[in-house]
Amino acid sequence: MDNKNISNRYKMLFAGILVVAAVFLAVHPCRAQIIAKENEEVKTLGVVFADGRKTEDISLFKIESDSDELFISAYDLARIFKATKYWKPGRKRLVVKIAAKKYIFTLDTRVVMIENQPVLLRMPVRYSDGFVMIPLEFIRDILAKSRVEKVDFDEKRLVLTIGAPSYNVTGIIFDESIEGTRAVLTLTDELLYHVDNEIPGLLRLKIYGGKLNTLKISATEGKGLFKRVRAEQTEYDSYLFFEVEQSASSFRVEFMGPADEDSGGRKLVIFLEKGELPEIPDADFAGRKMVEILQASAGEYRKIEVKRIIIDPGHGGPDYGRISESGVEEKQVNLEISEMLKRMLIERLGVEVVLTRRTDKLVPLDQRGEIANVQNGDIFISIHCNGWFKPEAGGFETFFLAPARNEEESHQAAHENSSIRFENPGLDPEKLDELNFILWDMVQNEFINESSKLAELIQKSLDDRVSIRNRGVRQAGFRVLRGLKMPAVLVEVAFLSNPREEKLLLDNRFRKKVCEGIVEAVRRFREKDMIVEGR
Amino acid sequence: MIKNDLGRKIMFVLLALLIIVTAIIIIVRRIDLKEEEGPRVVREVPGEIRTVTLFFANSNADGLLSETRDITSEGGLENEVKQVIAALLAGPEDKKGVSAIPVGTEINRVFRVEDKETVYLDFNRALVSNHTGGSAGEYYTIKMILKTIEVNFPQVAKVQFIVAGYPVNTIAGHYKVDTPLSVRKWR
Repeated sequence: MDNKNISNRYKMLFAGILVVAAVFLAVHPCRAQIIAKENEEVKTLGVVFADGRKTEDISLFKIESDSDELFISAYDLARIFKATKYWKPGRKRLVVKIAAKKYIFTLDTRVVMIENQPVLLRMPVRYSDGFVMIPLEFIRDILAKSRVEKVDFDEKRLVLTIGAPSYNVTGIIFDESIEGTRAVLTLTDELLYHVDNEIPGLLRLKIYGGKLNTLKISATEGKGLFKRVRAEQTEYDSYLFFEVEQSASSFRVEFMGPADEDSGGRKLVIFLEKGELPEIPDADFAGRKMVEILQASAGEYRKIEVKRIIIDPGHGGPDYGRISESGVEEKQVNLEISEMLKRMLIERLGVEVVLTRRTDKLVPLDQRGEIANVQNGDIFISIHCNGWFKPEAGGFETFFLAPARNEEESHQAAHENSSIRFENPGLDPEKLDELNFILWDMVQNEFINESSKLAELIQKSLDDRVSIRNRGVRQAGFRVLRGLKMPAVLVEVAFLSNPREEKLLLDNRFRKKVCEGIVEAVRRFREKDMIVEGR
Repeated sequence: MIKNDLGRKIMFVLLALLIIVTAIIIIVRRIDLKEEEGPRVVREVPGEIRTVTLFFANSNADGLLSETRDITSEGGLENEVKQVIAALLAGPEDKKGVSAIPVGTEINRVFRVEDKETVYLDFNRALVSNHTGGSAGEYYTIKMILKTIEVNFPQVAKVQFIVAGYPVNTIAGHYKVDTPLSVRKWR
């Protein structure tokens, strides 16, 4: 009995131990989870994408209690690098493919296989709180140094830049001499620009189609007559605001020499001279001939003759344009505003006006340009109303044609035009002459400075008169503006999809303000002395 | 004997308890693991998953917003582009995003010809016929697609829009789309 009792007691003890072990096991994962939950986000990694994706803040975690190494989740890693990833569950392996290079991580080990070559990390890869966690040193020491992806890692600020930045305004330096101070901008391409100093002590430089690193430019310290520079980037254009000293007398802007012999970029130089900064008569000339305008004695001047204006009421016939919620048709509003504008231009400026359509009919886009060219217009203004999918979008904007600038595009234009020639055997024989051969896209290039100037004037003049949002001047590939042999703009008066603006568009007082604004802009455009290239 | 029986019974109960507890632990841990994996973690899916970035417009029609999606990385560039365009057509998940692609638009096929850098996107007629107009609307119809292609497929330089098998002059009467558009330079 005693023996049996003793053996039973052992058995019970044994069973007891098993139960305790089981309970421990049951509790263990919970403990692991509690620890994992303590892996709270300790820092954030700022990720800047050069490809236009929005800047993101990514959580970084501290996982190992005895190390300060930060970890990033494999989910975030794959996402920010647009990587392909897959999980091999049996072998606890995570395969991540970044820019065609394969990285294989194994859980709880420090080995990363890079294209079958093992590399040791200082910390192991972990699985924690539902995520595979990869030590940040993978980005810092492997990705940033491998040059597979263009990656820039700023360890101090914890900022990661991914991708090749496609900046075309790449840098700025200031240098000082006895006469004044120069700001030298490096551009990859000869871009169109626009300078004004409407606000005293401030020079505003707008670079059409510019892309720049605002932080880098704004962090450049001013020198001499330039107190400070601040850069802003919009979706389409770059702006540079220069705060200048009172003692600056005049400025000139010009392109000078190649920026760099290898890259073949261009230098845009803003030169400030000492003395009082004079009131420059609306120095809002867009383009590279700024220099001649400000050097009053040099250069030839001529007044732009504006005798005949072509107004193009957008859409028409079966092409309704935008139709508002309440059934207002854009084509009708465009036509009515165009007619009012015509009357006002004739009355106030004494010019001739030709409409590309006077009734509700369809005029093909190419034909509108032909009408304008055949009629020998001096300015082309296309009138449109805008439309959007949500009621909140609103405002007015003025466009001019984005030029075909590079060789590839002009080749393409040439190719297109050769087909136009075959399609239109009845075309004026002079136009078919190889020597006079017109590259349609390039034709408008010739007037790009004047077009941008007219667009800026219209936008400013409308801004003085109407209370809706100013959406700015933009360049775009509008078909109707192609091939025009005159300065040409397209005005989006307001949004028919915005209930408030729809009411305004139907209100004669608003229409009158818009027309007055355009008339005033044309008047100012006509009064300007300017040097015109190639005419 | 009675005591012995009692001991055995206790031991039997304890053992049973042990088995039950162990079973529960195993099940619970499995569930835990599944829950932990959740939707955000690498899933055990055959084939490779690729995370892509889609671009939609904002409600003011003055900028783009990005969202990410997972697609399966197989079937070559054309298949991936088609999946990405289909994801764009499905619209944004974020309420702030606006799709500027007309309702009912479908992508029929995606192909390349001799010039491997140009991708042809063949949509159904809805792209043109259902377009509600407005140059901002048309601008972002084109911009959303070009930006999404640019960011996800660096090997693609140009996109040619095709509607029901044929190129068109414009989608809604403003922008020239009859020739391939440069994904990086178009505006």
